[in-house]
Amino acid sequence: MGSRCRWLVGPLLAAFFMMGAMLGAWAQDDEQLAYYRQAKINWRQAEGQTLTIGLNKHPFTESLLPLIPEFRKLTGINIEYLILPEAEYFTKLVADLSQQRGEFSVIMTGPVRNWQFVEPGWILPLDDFLNNPKLTDLGWYRFDDFYPALLAANRWNGKIGGGVGEGPIYSIPVLEESYILAYRKDIFDQYNIKVPTTLEEMAEAARQVKKNAGIAGIVARGTPSVASMGTGFMSGLKAYTGGQWREFDDKMNANFHDPRSVKFTEAWIAMIRESGPPNWANMQWYDAMEAFTAGQAGMIADADFFAANYEDPKKSKVAGKVGYALILSGETGKPYAGLWTWALGINKATKNKEAAWLFVEWATAQRTLLNATLGYRNYNPSRASITNDPRVQEIMAGWGGGSYLKTVARNLETARVAWTPQPERTRMGDIWARSLHEIYFQRMSAADALKKASADTDKVLKEAGLK
Amino acid sequence: MTLQPRRHWRREEYLPYLLLAPALILLAGMVYPFALGLYYSFTSYWLQYPNRFRFVWFDNYLGLLEEPLFARALGFTLGFTLVAVVLQVGLGLAVALFLHARIPGRAVLRALMLLPLMMPPVITALMWKIMMASTNAGILNYILSFFGVDPVNWFGSMEGAIVSVLIIDTWGNLPFVSLILLGALQALPAEPYEAARVDGAGTVAMLRYVTLPLLSPFIVLAVMFRTMDSLRIFDVIYATTLGGPNDATTNLQIMAYQYSFQWYQMGKGMAQAIVLLLIVVMVSWLLMRLWNRAAESTS
Amino acid sequence: MTTQTLPYTTPQAVPYQRYVPKLAVALGAALLLAWTVFPFLWILLTSLKSSADIISVPPKFVFTPTFDNYAALVMGEQRGQYSSTRPDFPLFFLNSMIISLGAVALSVLAGIPAAYALARFTFPFKDALGFVLMSFRFVPFIAFVIPLYLLYQRFGLYNTHTGLILAYQLITLPFTIWMLRSFFQEVPIEIQEAAKIDGCSWLGVLMRVILPLSLPGIAVTVILGFMFSWNAFNYPLMLAGRQTFPVTVGAIQFISYEQVLWGQMAAATIVAAVPQLLLSLMVQKYIVRGLTMGAVK
Repeated sequence: MGSRCRWLVGPLLAAFFMMGAMLGAWAQDDEQLAYYRQAKINWRQAEGQTLTIGLNKHPFTESLLPLIPEFRKLTGINIEYLILPEAEYFTKLVADLSQQRGEFSVIMTGPVRNWQFVEPGWILPLDDFLNNPKLTDLGWYRFDDFYPALLAANRWNGKIGGGVGEGPIYSIPVLEESYILAYRKDIFDQYNIKVPTTLEEMAEAARQVKKNAGIAGIVARGTPSVASMGTGFMSGLKAYTGGQWREFDDKMNANFHDPRSVKFTEAWIAMIRESGPPNWANMQWYDAMEAFTAGQAGMIADADFFAANYEDPKKSKVAGKVGYALILSGETGKPYAGLWTWALGINKATKNKEAAWLFVEWATAQRTLLNATLGYRNYNPSRASITNDPRVQEIMAGWGGGSYLKTVARNLETARVAWTPQPERTRMGDIWARSLHEIYFQRMSAADALKKASADTDKVLKEAGLK
Repeated sequence: MTLQPRRHWRREEYLPYLLLAPALILLAGMVYPFALGLYYSFTSYWLQYPNRFRFVWFDNYLGLLEEPLFARALGFTLGFTLVAVVLQVGLGLAVALFLHARIPGRAVLRALMLLPLMMPPVITALMWKIMMASTNAGILNYILSFFGVDPVNWFGSMEGAIVSVLIIDTWGNLPFVSLILLGALQALPAEPYEAARVDGAGTVAMLRYVTLPLLSPFIVLAVMFRTMDSLRIFDVIYATTLGGPNDATTNLQIMAYQYSFQWYQMGKGMAQAIVLLLIVVMVSWLLMRLWNRAAESTS
Repeated sequence: MTTQTLPYTTPQAVPYQRYVPKLAVALGAALLLAWTVFPFLWILLTSLKSSADIISVPPKFVFTPTFDNYAALVMGEQRGQYSSTRPDFPLFFLNSMIISLGAVALSVLAGIPAAYALARFTFPFKDALGFVLMSFRFVPFIAFVIPLYLLYQRFGLYNTHTGLILAYQLITLPFTIWMLRSFFQEVPIEIQEAAKIDGCSWLGVLMRVILPLSLPGIAVTVILGFMFSWNAFNYPLMLAGRQTFPVTVGAIQFISYEQVLWGQMAAATIVAAVPQLLLSLMVQKYIVRGLTMGAVK
């Protein structure tokens, strides 16, 4: 090569490398998209449309955000999103749903929330999308990979008072949340405290922790809202009554004043008053969780996936010192913990139904959910394959010295959505929680307060035309 | 004064209305939403049951009389406002006088006084809630423990919650009152004081007979603003107790929020909001008369 | 017309030595300082703490500071933790600036003539109109916000800066008018008469006499109005979408479903306070220059 041409070498090499890099990037992109392209559907059938997604602030939604450009490349659909904490999110969501203007196309919802949305027809049943071969490749999507209990939780046939697990499915679950007992194994071992399986044992254990370790024996959510009722408290109550007690009797009369419920509530409040934190009445979920994480409590009966926080050495004072057990499984031999799933649903008012479903399908695909769990701490996974993935097992296996996974698996055998389906669950839960406050502050006896709760609930249901 | 020709006189007549026009137009757009809200208050609008929408006349309003929570919320609204306004205006006046005096470092203090106003109430309340944790885990109790005080159950008891909300609200709004009164103090004319000094008045007398009367329009202004805001206080309660514990900190606005945004009973929620509005209007009408009288007496 | 220069402080600001023990004053100043500044200081400290330090018991005053929380606002992924991987905080900050400045500017533009009318003219229905203007501030936001939301959706004002600026007038305009009215009324009537005799029209009186003399009052009003706008929460929550959220709504996004990112929330609060800090420092000089009414007499 003559000296004249030597100056060409640089630019040529640069161009070559650039092309190589672009090819590589394209290939890598393609590799990430290749998984989705395996599905025998035309991802680009809704090309050019725009979707607005309503999301609540959650590890799962965090995981989706960086993947949105990928989705656009795959489908040609533009995504706008809105993220808010749970309370504010539902405020805005219901405002939009009720006006059916279609601001949000895809929404995050879940079993008990769906009950509010189904009756006025605000959300779409998803079966048609699932069974439409042009939109869903069931083989690739592996619908059976989802835990059956979670899918069942998102089904409802619309019948007030029953029918969860039957009928159309309204949302696809992206996580599983159930309720177990987390306790300070180090304190329990040190003072020879028995891991409680009955309510009496729990009160005793709380007493012992408070006496010996000087911290609150047990923490629990206590704000006068429905959110405080459905986790540890209701799971305990259900276990206490062998799953027999429901908020309603067969005639849909409120049943809070049932003698078993009264006894349980009395004992629970007494335990809280004796060994619980002084600000129980104002404890939100994060107050209770952070109290335990900071080492300020001996026990907490609440969401299982909080363990991800308890076991995080970077910020938890109790990492590695926690044990996990079922809630009150000794009362009747089995636990009856509640169940909740965050799930993706579709607004009926959306103008881009197919695009919305494509998004749901993509966001709940195995790979997307796996990434959410591995990279963004989305616990607990809603697909069995993710839980069984060795990398996930590696993270979760160490929690509680292995007791976490065992407890959760055992718990899921009997966990069900604890609430009875009806659209006024929120209101009813708020009424119920207020009655607990009346008892806690000793303004009313348990029997009276719960009878009032029943009466108030009946009034609301009648007003709503549900009775 | 020259005689005005008739044309000129008519323009003068309309002038104030023209001056008011931009403001009125801007706010006129808000009349329709308000009217809609008012309309809803006479209906049984319940978001999830659109087919049960009926016009129910005054049922929502009359139903409030039977609702035990309403009486409690009303009592709390009025009681809290009274205590908060007296506290905040009283303290604000004291602070304004303090900052007006020639004490060293007052410029710095005055600048720092603005800090609480710069924090959004929702966030501040959240931070205060953390500071007010009920055990010594909270920084406030931790500091108090150095003075030998037992941990205060700030938010876990009904009384504690009310006091806590009062403290947070005062912290956020004291600067507002102080600033208005300080600005007013700085703008007061000099002659009355000179006259008083000539008459041999001491500090306290000057305060009582010169400063306070001269300040009275501004004090009433501060009372008016704080009253209207205290009656409707929301953000602080929303971020800390949401009306609890045991409905101890529920005021009418919180109650209306619960009915509208938590339970979706828009009709009832709007009725409660309108009742609150009527109360605010009545109270401020009274205060405005007071302000007019005070303003006239000093000019 | 006699002119008289007054000392910076008006006569009633007597040197304290004569009347109040020094110690009491120092104590008073210290208490005031502590009361006002401490929560702000605590938020600042929280913003510099790692998550472990934030929840530690007893609360820590001494710790190794970290700027991770601030970095997270701008850059997203935090070391070992997550946050919004597409950080929206700068966007929220910009929104707050646009909306608050716009709202205050609009309020001042409309408010000055209105306050002038109420302060210096007598005309039928004056009291009633004044009260009506003020009354818009009374309405509990609940009565407004859902109908307003519906209206905005229908007319395309939802999730727009314009829509929010207009909605914020509910917060700033009545306040601006009433504050300005008070300050305009403080301008002695003689000066106004004198200007009229000199041949000024109503506009001249406004521009040449009233506005300059009320400048400290206007400054106070502007800065307070700005702060009220900046800190509004309930209206933007319902009337804005992600593209127009101000920092107040943005800051609560640190409440996630399985943890609360207190450190980042604190950092967001501190950063959000900066414009207000700067503004108040700028305006301080104006108020402090001590333009008293008496100087003109």
